[in-house]
Amino acid sequence: MEIWQSIVAIVNDDNEFKGVELRKQGGSFEILWTRSSEESDADWRGFAAECGLSVEPTALEDSDSDRMVVAGFNTAGTIFHRTTVPAVEDKEIESIIELQAETRLPLPPEQIELAWRADQLRDGQMGVTIAVARKEQLQKFVGKVRCFKPAKILLNSEGIVKIWEVFFSGNKDNAVVLSTGSHNTQVCLVEEGRLSNAVVLDIGIEDFSTEVTEEQTETSERFAQDMRSVLDLFGCSNQGELPVFVLSDGSASYVSIVSSLRLAGLNARVATPALNGLMAKSELSDEDIYRYRTPIGLALTVFDAGADELNIFERLYNPMQKVVQRHWLYAPKVTIAIASIMLVLLIVVSYAVDIAGPNSIEKRLDASVSDVDMNLLVKRQQLIKTVARERPDLLDLLKVVNESGERGIKLTSLSFKKGQPVSISGEASSNDQLSRYEKNLQNSKGIEKVNYTANTNAKSKKITFTMTFHYKNFSSKTTRTKS
Amino acid sequence: MKVGKAMIEKLSNKDIRTLKYGAIGAVAIILFVFGSAGHERWTKAKANGAVLRTKLDTINVDKAKQAGLASIVPVFEMPQVEEEQKFLFRDKLSEQFKKAGIKNKPLQIQAGRKSPQAGYKLLLVKCNATCQFVQVLDFLARLNENPYLVGIEELKIKCDPKKQGEVALDLTVSTFAR
Repeated sequence: MEIWQSIVAIVNDDNEFKGVELRKQGGSFEILWTRSSEESDADWRGFAAECGLSVEPTALEDSDSDRMVVAGFNTAGTIFHRTTVPAVEDKEIESIIELQAETRLPLPPEQIELAWRADQLRDGQMGVTIAVARKEQLQKFVGKVRCFKPAKILLNSEGIVKIWEVFFSGNKDNAVVLSTGSHNTQVCLVEEGRLSNAVVLDIGIEDFSTEVTEEQTETSERFAQDMRSVLDLFGCSNQGELPVFVLSDGSASYVSIVSSLRLAGLNARVATPALNGLMAKSELSDEDIYRYRTPIGLALTVFDAGADELNIFERLYNPMQKVVQRHWLYAPKVTIAIASIMLVLLIVVSYAVDIAGPNSIEKRLDASVSDVDMNLLVKRQQLIKTVARERPDLLDLLKVVNESGERGIKLTSLSFKKGQPVSISGEASSNDQLSRYEKNLQNSKGIEKVNYTANTNAKSKKITFTMTFHYKNFSSKTTRTKS
Repeated sequence: MKVGKAMIEKLSNKDIRTLKYGAIGAVAIILFVFGSAGHERWTKAKANGAVLRTKLDTINVDKAKQAGLASIVPVFEMPQVEEEQKFLFRDKLSEQFKKAGIKNKPLQIQAGRKSPQAGYKLLLVKCNATCQFVQVLDFLARLNENPYLVGIEELKIKCDPKKQGEVALDLTVSTFAR
């Protein structure tokens, strides 16, 4: 986690760009500068440049800088929901919330972005705050602020709750905080010290005046009515004692707002800045603090390391991820360099293996074969193989010739010569017997091409025969030449 | 360092480009010189490796094949020069005839056919004998124990119809000589 020396927060609040730089020193904060722009043609890019931030698209991110930039997103287009879920894992909560968002919201899931934050577990149930906004609206906002590369985009209402808590003596766990602008009022519900709901009303400080007129009475009544509806929406209509804090710069207009709310039966009170622990380079009045309440609040939120922000831009804007992509996925030079190194390594390793391999084999052979000449060993092995090919197993041949004939067949001679068919001569009792003998030989392993000629002796009626056959590869001239 | 930096700053783009090409050329020359020597060495090493592997393949026969070879050629002596080999082979052969109880006629040395093994001559030894058929079987069973024997080139067995069990044996065996 990086420790930032100072935070620059920029917001577009009340039709005005406002920026501050806040530094933390020990337990106190120091406002280094404040800046605002009321020009009608002002935009995020121009104002960021005015604040001294780099807005060039090609400019490298100042990673060594000890300040962090955050942008505030107006919550007017954001809807909040409160729900309870059983005590389950974060992943399961996420799927429950996504399911609820799909069923409750009128937009399809691909058109919305949501963020959620779970409260402490109570009685086996967990309260969850869900913030939902249109994806298109958020993408447009990201497009506007991307130029000055903010590290975070936060909800303005989070900043309001934070500054109420730190500099407006906001010591209640549950309360409603009103931040009144010129023509609108941000109503924030605080539960367990954190923002849990927010709504924007279209009545602002300009609509109230200290003078009691008919029009003023009507505005006060409308405001009180709107507030009742908001509390109803927040589910707090039955909590008569719920404190309603109206952030104020100390002027009388805010007192009239509080009065109208009190008349409506609400427990309203004014909250003015209490600047304990806040310093500034130039002197700042309560009006200044009130004017820059939102950016100061956002900066305080970032300084609060334990703050679990509702990051609705999580999937749309992640500057850290972009840096990683630029290094590895979009850096062909790095890829080419790595590929070249790998190629060189491959060549070196192949070379080393080919050079070292035979040497090591020879060394091992020298060690294992000792005095015996390797070549002699090879020659001997080759000769043994040749001899094995040249040696017929004549005992086996005699056995086969003997076993193939039945009783009554008498052999008189056998002739074996390499390169010629084996020839056997003898006498048989009958042609059938001779035929069976031929068949048996033909079926014997290693014997093929069996032929015979036979003559019958007129005196003895015996059949004399001469039989020839090929034995393994020894009878073939071509095979001999090959071997 | 400062002087070097100042010199670099004085160089024009053309000068820098020329220096770059020069550096690339120098590296290429060095690579070529060492690379060609290395390539030659590599090629030689690969050839040596291939020869060694062939030799190893020749020697390194698996157990089953080795057992098969040993059953056909249980003993083997490397061939000697022709005269010595003739003597050794004939001597061993005579001994084997004697062991089988065969009284053979004098052994005749003959020039052989073309040798199946380059670098070695093939010598043939012919012998004739008249003996019992069982003696022939006994002789053939022990013939593989002759360490100089290459193979049986010719075998003729003819029975004598007048004398029971007696056969005329014509045998030609071969040996290698250097």
